Amino acid sequence: MKLDRRQFITLTSGLLSTSVFAVASTSSSKTPVFLSAASDGDDNHWVIGFSQSDKASTELFKHSLPGRAHHIAVHEGLGIYLVIARRPGKYLWVGDLDSGEPLAEITVPADRHLYGHGVFSADGNYFYAPENAWQMINGDSGRVVVWEVKRDDKKTPQFSMTRVKDFPSYGTGPHETLIKSDQRTLVLANGGIRTHPERGREKLNIESMQPSLAYINATSGDLEEQHFLDGQYHKASIRHMDQNQSGLLVVGLQYEGEPFDRVPLLVTHQQGEPLRELWAPEPQQGQMTQYVGSVRFDNSGRYVAASCPRGNMITFWEAKSGDFLRSIRSRDGCGLCAIDNGFLFTAGTGRITYYDMRDDSMTSLDSASSGKVFWDNHLSVFAS
Amino acid sequence: MVYNENRSQLEYRIMKNILSLLVLGFLPGWLIAQPSENWTEVNLSITDSQIIPRYSAFANSSAGLAAAAQSLCQATNAMNLENVRNSFHASMDAWQQIQHVQFGPITYFNWNFRLHYWPDEKGTGPRQLDELIAAGNERVLQSENFSRESVGVQGFPALERLLFDDESLLAFREDRYRCQAAQTIALNISEIASGVRQRWTDEFRTTIANADERGFFESAEDATIDFLKAQVESVRRIQQQKLEEVIGESAARARVRRAESWRSDRSLRNIKLNVMALDNLFNDSGSQSIALSEVFQTEDITVINDAFAQLNAALTPLSDSFEVLLMEEQGHEKLLQIAAHLDALFEAFEAGLKNTDLYLGFNSLDGD
Repeated sequence: MKLDRRQFITLTSGLLSTSVFAVASTSSSKTPVFLSAASDGDDNHWVIGFSQSDKASTELFKHSLPGRAHHIAVHEGLGIYLVIARRPGKYLWVGDLDSGEPLAEITVPADRHLYGHGVFSADGNYFYAPENAWQMINGDSGRVVVWEVKRDDKKTPQFSMTRVKDFPSYGTGPHETLIKSDQRTLVLANGGIRTHPERGREKLNIESMQPSLAYINATSGDLEEQHFLDGQYHKASIRHMDQNQSGLLVVGLQYEGEPFDRVPLLVTHQQGEPLRELWAPEPQQGQMTQYVGSVRFDNSGRYVAASCPRGNMITFWEAKSGDFLRSIRSRDGCGLCAIDNGFLFTAGTGRITYYDMRDDSMTSLDSASSGKVFWDNHLSVFAS
Repeated sequence: MVYNENRSQLEYRIMKNILSLLVLGFLPGWLIAQPSENWTEVNLSITDSQIIPRYSAFANSSAGLAAAAQSLCQATNAMNLENVRNSFHASMDAWQQIQHVQFGPITYFNWNFRLHYWPDEKGTGPRQLDELIAAGNERVLQSENFSRESVGVQGFPALERLLFDDESLLAFREDRYRCQAAQTIALNISEIASGVRQRWTDEFRTTIANADERGFFESAEDATIDFLKAQVESVRRIQQQKLEEVIGESAARARVRRAESWRSDRSLRNIKLNVMALDNLFNDSGSQSIALSEVFQTEDITVINDAFAQLNAALTPLSDSFEVLLMEEQGHEKLLQIAAHLDALFEAFEAGLKNTDLYLGFNSLDGD
């Protein structure tokens, strides 16, 4: 990869504010550790790590963040987690997986902001994050920035991230980003919605938005493949996605048109093929209220969970057939991740629930955080 | 499909304001002691004394509207037109008193949008209604077909447009299809109102009663939150969507045609009825019943009721008509005061509800 170094940032631990309370080290634990951004009612924002047992969750660490965050990317080889600011935020906040402690805080250039998502390459050498170059008002303002990541020794806090490449996302408002298992191709969910930091989170181009799913060469930035929804669904913002072991993508949509319009809210995609729409039967399709907040495959790669926080429900699907299986109620439930034979999901209410796909059972976990923090949209996991 | 930037911006602003309402009030001691049993008691009390009676009133008045419209088409004269207009007002009165409930059966089959597609800033409904009448297709007016027509032609705004025009009678006389369209819309409103009532009595009351069992709700508390959202979020919507969008910064900049029922000149009446229903939901579910105020602390109830009292004192004497009020010398100032009182009521709810574990929404209100 020819690297075009534009900016160099090296930060070490000790520069950041100290943790509010680090409850316990996870280093001796063999259980999965979950990570999520969270907020409270007084404009405080956090990254929280917790473990889960049969009936309870245990908070492992909780660190204050500069602003509301969104997704947390994890690289176990590097031993780091990386919190990405929610749009129009500008910070990347890095922590140590073993201790939970902060390692670095990095800010994107003044003329850019992040979109709350990003992904590491499998070897951990690179981190890819979509950004908004909002001055590009006559074209696509979506960009993907490649960061070179270095942590020479997992046991030391020395850590650096360097912006080395910056190429188009081939759309506007890029959101969740994945890298294919061959590590050659990035997949960008171009949401299609233009925003400007001076207008906050206001959506500026609903009538003309053109969301797309773009496959991009991770080295050259060249566009390899791009897919658009059927024209009548152009207001369905392509936002979130996951991939299974066979490379099948599931993609969650958020519709910006009328609440009564009949539109698909999920599609699946296999590279090289057309998009495939997934439909739930009524009344579940309507109850999804035009908004999917997060999508994740289960560990088998066969089933998909799609959260609908506005509809207060989580839906379950079989990916290959596209069949809707069932839905369960979860007020403001959004964060999802695969665990054991089902999913753990978090809600804006502070609730954490385990859902077992085998017997359709739910276990609500007692949580020290419940009622005090509101889990943000996404949940990540790593096995320590 | 309709949408535009203004609507997007308004909804964004409303969402932003509602997002600031993160938590809802302390629970009384008895609720903390036995929350689940008593949440159900609150929910059922409200259902039986507030929700089902109001939907019944809506269904009954809408049946009257459908009958009056039928009579008009059988004998298209001034008296029958007046009867339909009066029935329209009765039906709209009832609807405005239950419009705040935006969960449960009203959300089935797009009933809420089919009843009342508003705001319609692009004028899509009127355009589609004109096209429908110009085409004059009898099959479209058959019930099973009409329910699949655009929501813009199915409900109150479309019927209001046909009924409340100086030339309505002449137009009905000259075009029988136009009257049949009005009759079909009135029947559609009646069928939806009847359907919502039936679903509540036959199904959703049981859902509420069994909310602690796994099913539609996560818990009885989850159901109570839906009632609280109906209570609190409605205050903001009335303030911003029904009032501030209309009155502008000065009388000269008021935009009366942005009002909810400007053709029938009853938009302020709508707001009065909305506030009355919200007041009743909070305070008075009828004799020996439990109202939503039960979930608040005593001192917060006092503050909220003071806010209701000030709002009602300012609102009650006003005309039902924006147009009439705006012609008064102090009319615009009075409307600004109503907006301020609505804001104060919302703030009172926000302050009162801040000390509880109950939570209206987070990802659902301002997701990404």
